[in-house]
Amino acid sequence: MHTHPTPLSRLLAGGGGDATRVAFGRSGERTRRDLARDVAALASAITAVGAGRWLLFSADSYATAVGLLALASCRSLAVLPPNRRPETLRRLAEGAVGALVDGDAATVAGLPALAPLQQRAALPAAPPCLDREAPLVEFWTSGTTGEGRPIRKALRHLEDEVAVLEACLGAGLGRDARIFATASHQHIYGLLFRVLWPLALGRAFQAETLLHTQELLPRMRESEAAALVTTPVHLRRLAAGDDLRELRGICRAVFSSGGPLDPETARAVAEQLGAAPIEILGSTETGGIALRRRDLDGDVWHPLPGVEIARREADGRLEVTSPFVSVGDDAGGGRARSVLGDRVDLVPGGGFLLLGRADRVVKVGEKRLSLPEMERVLASHPGVAEVALLVLEPAGERRVHAVVAASPAGQALLERGGRRALRSALTQHLAASFDPVLLPRAWRFVGALPRDAQDKVPHASLCALFGDRAPMRPTAPKLIDERRGAEEFVRQLEVPADLAQLEGHFEAVPLVAGVVQLGWVLAAAAEWLGHEPELSGLEALKFPEPLRPGRRVTLELRRSADGQQLRFRLHGERSVYATGRAILAAGRTGAA
Amino acid sequence: MATVQSLEDEIKQLIIEALVLEDVTAAEIDLEAALFVDGLGLDSIDALELAMALEERYGVKIGDDPDQNRQIFASVRALAAFVSESRS
Repeated sequence: MHTHPTPLSRLLAGGGGDATRVAFGRSGERTRRDLARDVAALASAITAVGAGRWLLFSADSYATAVGLLALASCRSLAVLPPNRRPETLRRLAEGAVGALVDGDAATVAGLPALAPLQQRAALPAAPPCLDREAPLVEFWTSGTTGEGRPIRKALRHLEDEVAVLEACLGAGLGRDARIFATASHQHIYGLLFRVLWPLALGRAFQAETLLHTQELLPRMRESEAAALVTTPVHLRRLAAGDDLRELRGICRAVFSSGGPLDPETARAVAEQLGAAPIEILGSTETGGIALRRRDLDGDVWHPLPGVEIARREADGRLEVTSPFVSVGDDAGGGRARSVLGDRVDLVPGGGFLLLGRADRVVKVGEKRLSLPEMERVLASHPGVAEVALLVLEPAGERRVHAVVAASPAGQALLERGGRRALRSALTQHLAASFDPVLLPRAWRFVGALPRDAQDKVPHASLCALFGDRAPMRPTAPKLIDERRGAEEFVRQLEVPADLAQLEGHFEAVPLVAGVVQLGWVLAAAAEWLGHEPELSGLEALKFPEPLRPGRRVTLELRRSADGQQLRFRLHGERSVYATGRAILAAGRTGAA
Repeated sequence: MATVQSLEDEIKQLIIEALVLEDVTAAEIDLEAALFVDGLGLDSIDALELAMALEERYGVKIGDDPDQNRQIFASVRALAAFVSESRS
């Protein structure tokens, strides 16, 4: 039986079955009729304030769906803050017209605020026409410098991915599965899997976000059929207590995304439920890329239909071309191409294996080290439950630093012999496989690795654990925005006021040295080309005006026709800070 | 005038601070113990840092004779003796 997703625009018109259940929860059940009415009411209220950029954050998935559809019908953009910290909201509020939030506050972050479910419209609005190409949602994600970056999705990116997910996975779910989730709908995985996909297919989703993972289980048990949208960290906890066994026969699928799922948890889930979790590989920039079920596929990922994958020759990184990619090079026919930070190996049959992030291969003391590899070796020690490594420069030279969540055995060692005992045991364990200069120079033993709302371990949180070693000054400019084309690569940067390289240059007047600006040019080139550019020289190098801290600069890179030169220009609105040409060494063209 | 003993204490402190060493106190550093590879377990990167710190603090320059340097950096005691001689 073919199930076709209902396009979002039809949902607004109230089509597709008015009584179809949309959501369930503490406030009762909502149907499509409720949805159409709530959306129309909210849309009127939004129109009264004005169309434009609106913040949207609610703990309730149904309210989020209402907010999103209402904004879409008002030709407005929904900006989804990744967290509720005041600085985040303040930053995202720039250029925004209003905010859709829970509660009664009249303003939030200086913006007029509306509660999505508390509006009453005088008249039902006429069903609007939705533009598939217009930006619908703006997500915020941490880029390589650790600062947030905006990533926009048009209606078509989301609708098309929903259609593919249903085609691949819908039959396994069945029509009546109720969708439960721990993943946040403020990020693309949660928004697609717990809101938009169920919404389009008439599957009811849970409106609330439960505080404790444990609360999910009794609720799921009450369903005839259910599915769970979750992340590795939550799933580990759920599977550890053998609690999932009670859901056998009820739970049709467990989805996991946001990070690598360890084989033990996959096996435990398979044993308890009868099938391993369906892992989804994707990113905000690219949307969904691939799926895998460990009990069927082992470690091999299989691309979603419509997704083309390739291994970039220069650095082995994964190149994705699909209609779900919203940040990347245009590949024609509504598709775009993006390169991920992960290295891959292709396997016969169309699948691939992930090898770890390219930027986690570092040089310490001229020796090359794969941080994931050292993490694996450390994790194999019985005293270690989880580990994260990073490279810092406490004494002016790069050193590996380790953050370890000790296992019970590790805890015992800490209690018996103190930090020194565990540190010594782990160092010896590593010394068998790694050069002495690569061994971690400082260790932090924690109860658990610091994680954010997406269950990722933010680099900034790890750095903060070592804040006592040296004041953490940024060593890179803040990346505000990035635009990538075939002919040019443009970055908007902001020079931090406390940039480390300003020290001593100069005492009276801090300026960003030319050589530092060149470093930024080369870093941008490396990201664009996919490899560290090998230069045979620099030409026409000019630094017309001094660059002071706190400034925003635009860094433009252009390739010459023959691909042998990279022309760069760093400028502000009225000032030019650096221009020149980088001549690429023979044999290495600017081909990306 | 600073005694050799307090110079040895200073150098222990310098090593710990310049190299941002953890889990080691000055009291625990054996004056005669090796600094590199064994004993304190410092490595080639530390050697560079330490040389810079010594130059900054005491004005002493480490030469390029490997045999001589091996002797100078053999232990905290040896290092203190070297610094003391260079200053007088």
